[in-house]
Amino acid sequence: MILHTASEVISLAKKLETDLADFYEAVAVKSPGDAEALLVFTSENRRNATQVERAYYSAISDIIEGTTTFKLDASRYEFPGVVGQEAAPPEILAQAIEMESRVAAFYADAAAQSKSLMADIARVFLLLAHKHAARLDSLKTLGGSL
Amino acid sequence: MAVLDEPIKQVISLKNYINGEWVESRSSQVLDVVNPATQKTIATVPMSTRRELEAAVNAAKEAFPEWRRTPPLSRVRYLFRLKEFMEERFEELSRVQTMEHGKTIDESRGETRRGIEMVEVATGIPSLMMGYNLEDVAGGIDEYVVYQPLGVFCHIAPFNFPFMVPLWFSPFALATGNTFVVKPSPRDPISQVKVAELIEEAGIPPGVYNVVHGAEEVVMGMLEHPDVKGVTFVGSTAVGRDIVYRKCGETGKRVIAQCGAKNFMVVMPDCDLEKTTAALMTSFYGNAGQRCLSGANLVIVGEDNAFYRKFVDAFTAAASRIKIGYGLDDSVQMGPMQSKDGKQRVLGFIERGITEGAKLVLDGRHPVINGDYPADCFMGPTIFADVTPGMTIAREEIFGPVASVLKAKDLESAISICNSSRYGNGNAIFTSSGKSAREFQYAIESGNVGINIGIVAPMAFFPFGGMKDSFFGVLHGQGRDAVRFFTESKVVIQRWF
Repeated sequence: MILHTASEVISLAKKLETDLADFYEAVAVKSPGDAEALLVFTSENRRNATQVERAYYSAISDIIEGTTTFKLDASRYEFPGVVGQEAAPPEILAQAIEMESRVAAFYADAAAQSKSLMADIARVFLLLAHKHAARLDSLKTLGGSL
Repeated sequence: MAVLDEPIKQVISLKNYINGEWVESRSSQVLDVVNPATQKTIATVPMSTRRELEAAVNAAKEAFPEWRRTPPLSRVRYLFRLKEFMEERFEELSRVQTMEHGKTIDESRGETRRGIEMVEVATGIPSLMMGYNLEDVAGGIDEYVVYQPLGVFCHIAPFNFPFMVPLWFSPFALATGNTFVVKPSPRDPISQVKVAELIEEAGIPPGVYNVVHGAEEVVMGMLEHPDVKGVTFVGSTAVGRDIVYRKCGETGKRVIAQCGAKNFMVVMPDCDLEKTTAALMTSFYGNAGQRCLSGANLVIVGEDNAFYRKFVDAFTAAASRIKIGYGLDDSVQMGPMQSKDGKQRVLGFIERGITEGAKLVLDGRHPVINGDYPADCFMGPTIFADVTPGMTIAREEIFGPVASVLKAKDLESAISICNSSRYGNGNAIFTSSGKSAREFQYAIESGNVGINIGIVAPMAFFPFGGMKDSFFGVLHGQGRDAVRFFTESKVVIQRWF
């Protein structure tokens, strides 16, 4: 599905962050050795969702070109499915990397499409793109025990 | 995408808010407030009597002396609280606007934000209301100016921005020490009831702010009441000029009448095609074209027919992709017209365009509606090409999602076409040339001027301009103009023996 409006892009951003938060929370239960690090990810994701929403509500204006700004294919970013509780650590890690990569790509693309129109939102998108890209490195350090 | 939850679940019977009380109107005349997308009644609104309006004005008059003696800093602290409540209920306020007006949820949230910005700017009154002084204008004699509130002001609200437009005026009026009576549009009055609820919650004293629902009888009551010091109006030129402005002149009231428009978007061959097209989509079709700043006429400059065709094709392609439906579906890009009458009026203009020989390149009369909604108020984007300045669709305000495309051989001709309009509200040029932009800004007869901006809506700290048949009055709404409109200067010369 192609997303065109600012509202649906923000909705997707919140969903991606929330799904990621839930994922890490579930994995933390299964991997007590990495629980602390994973729960930090969880709370970061929930803060990211709030940050995106706050930027949107602050910047949205009745004159904004928010209804025709975007052209994002949601299927490129939505998570294909979550591995089951019984999955092996390498599978879980691969899933996490895939999810983070998709979210980073989503934010980078959304930032590029909004930069000339919605400055605050584009800045937040870019910031979160970098954060999620940086998290890929953090995941690799956890890799062995996940 | 799923439709967002509707905050109004049962039909609300709206009341007036007078002297800090929610009062059932005694009028037997009641209208339905209808969600234009679903055609369901969501509220009923009374057509109040003149007596009820007088009760509100009297309450405002009684409240004035104590309110004006409240220090400005204390007055604005109520507004800080009001802002806080508006932020807390941001989403609810926005969804109410979509339900009663029809605009998309992005548009409603944008309207909520812009309304809150007005409150924010008005909290600067302690600085904005300062006067000035000079010592020793003569030996031992000092002279200074103070700005003082006047009393009761009224506002007659339009339907197209049910939350925001009254806030162009009311926070400034209140912050400067005046008291206020609002008449919301009977088509979509719920937003103003919500604002009054928040004002009550903020603890603003009884009588300082009042809401009276109604129509002509309430309007005439405002215009004729001797205790009303000024009236602010946003709506059609016919009402604004011939009734509001005239009557205020007869009765010595201050007046701001922001009226109709026919806005020209001038496109130069050196414009950024992609960004210009995106900006013009919002300009022409945002709020379903029901905006005094909406683009109406697209003037493509130059003798290069290839550029004309290329631009029209790109514009048409973008417009044809606009998704139409219920505004609470956040994938929808254009909601319905606010009323069936509004739609019929626009359809009439489309017929005129066809009859007068314009070329209908995109026909929005029978749009594809996303979701199962009655078609009563829905329209799609419409585009006429090869329009000439004398055609009805080029001259008259349509107030709907209809774009008329004209040609001009050069910028000078384009400006001449724009200036031949009796309106002067929000005209814009799209160009990468500073020279063209400056020439446009200099010569165009328009109170709000855009350079690569499709909707020339001033921020809250600037006045909302307007010229010719788009504005009647001297001072405008918003910003420093509003502060001056709601205050009178008093010059004091003092000497102490």
